[in-house]
Amino acid sequence: MSGQYIAFFILSLLTISGAIFMISFNRVIHMVVALAFTFLSIAGLFILLEAEFVGLTQIMVYSGGVSVLMLFGIMLTQHSKVERSEQKPALRIFTFAGILAFFVAVFYGIQKTPWSQEAVDYSTQNNVKEIGVQLYNNYVIPFELVSVLLLVALIGGIIMAKKEADDE
Amino acid sequence: MAALYANNYLIVAIFLFLGILLPVGALTFGRLLRPHNPTTVKRETYESGLEPFGSSWVQFNVKYYIFAIMFVIFDVETIFLYPWAVAYDQLGLFALVEMLIFIALLVIGLIYAWKKKVLEWN
Repeated sequence: MSGQYIAFFILSLLTISGAIFMISFNRVIHMVVALAFTFLSIAGLFILLEAEFVGLTQIMVYSGGVSVLMLFGIMLTQHSKVERSEQKPALRIFTFAGILAFFVAVFYGIQKTPWSQEAVDYSTQNNVKEIGVQLYNNYVIPFELVSVLLLVALIGGIIMAKKEADDE
Repeated sequence: MAALYANNYLIVAIFLFLGILLPVGALTFGRLLRPHNPTTVKRETYESGLEPFGSSWVQFNVKYYIFAIMFVIFDVETIFLYPWAVAYDQLGLFALVEMLIFIALLVIGLIYAWKKKVLEWN
């Protein structure tokens, strides 16, 4: 139990510090590296919760795919060092209020969600197999909608980037 | 089973720890051993005998971005294939048809990319 506690402590520390470094760095590429640290630590937290499939998906899609996508996106643009101008205090207060409202909404939502059943002990079962059975028996329409979403993302990305490539 | 899992992750933790420790230790040890005498010529970037110019962070071609988008999309597709393959013996024909529709839609995207000559590199 204490080993789990230590692992949770280290992983949450890495998650939060990655996020904080991401905000405070000046160069965009350093920001992406910090964000990749956050993604990896979140994957560790998922594995700690015995959700191995979600954890590995996090590593594959976020740490692998999305980080590379962000890096290429940054490489396309002008990314000289950002000169940070001092913000107006009114804007700061407004930003803080927005963040606070978001936090309260998420926290309240989590607290008020009625969890209908007791948590299932998945550590004795085959995690991936359970996900497969649930997904392909009970959630067929959402699954097919995901493929439509992926198709739209692919075609939309190609149209936008193609226009850019032809202009060059 | 849970105890077995915990032990497995202990091995992963040891592996991670060693993976971080080894390069850090080797570089620190090397720093202690090597002589420290930098000159301006030594500090220059070595570029096959050519004089290096500009920054290494140049603006990339937009085609890299298309490849990154396609990589993410087919990455997600693979992830959906994986639980389907693991649970295949409990799912039956309907799931096979579902997966064929899923793959067919993404193949349409791939054919579109092919027709638009996005996959070509010139």
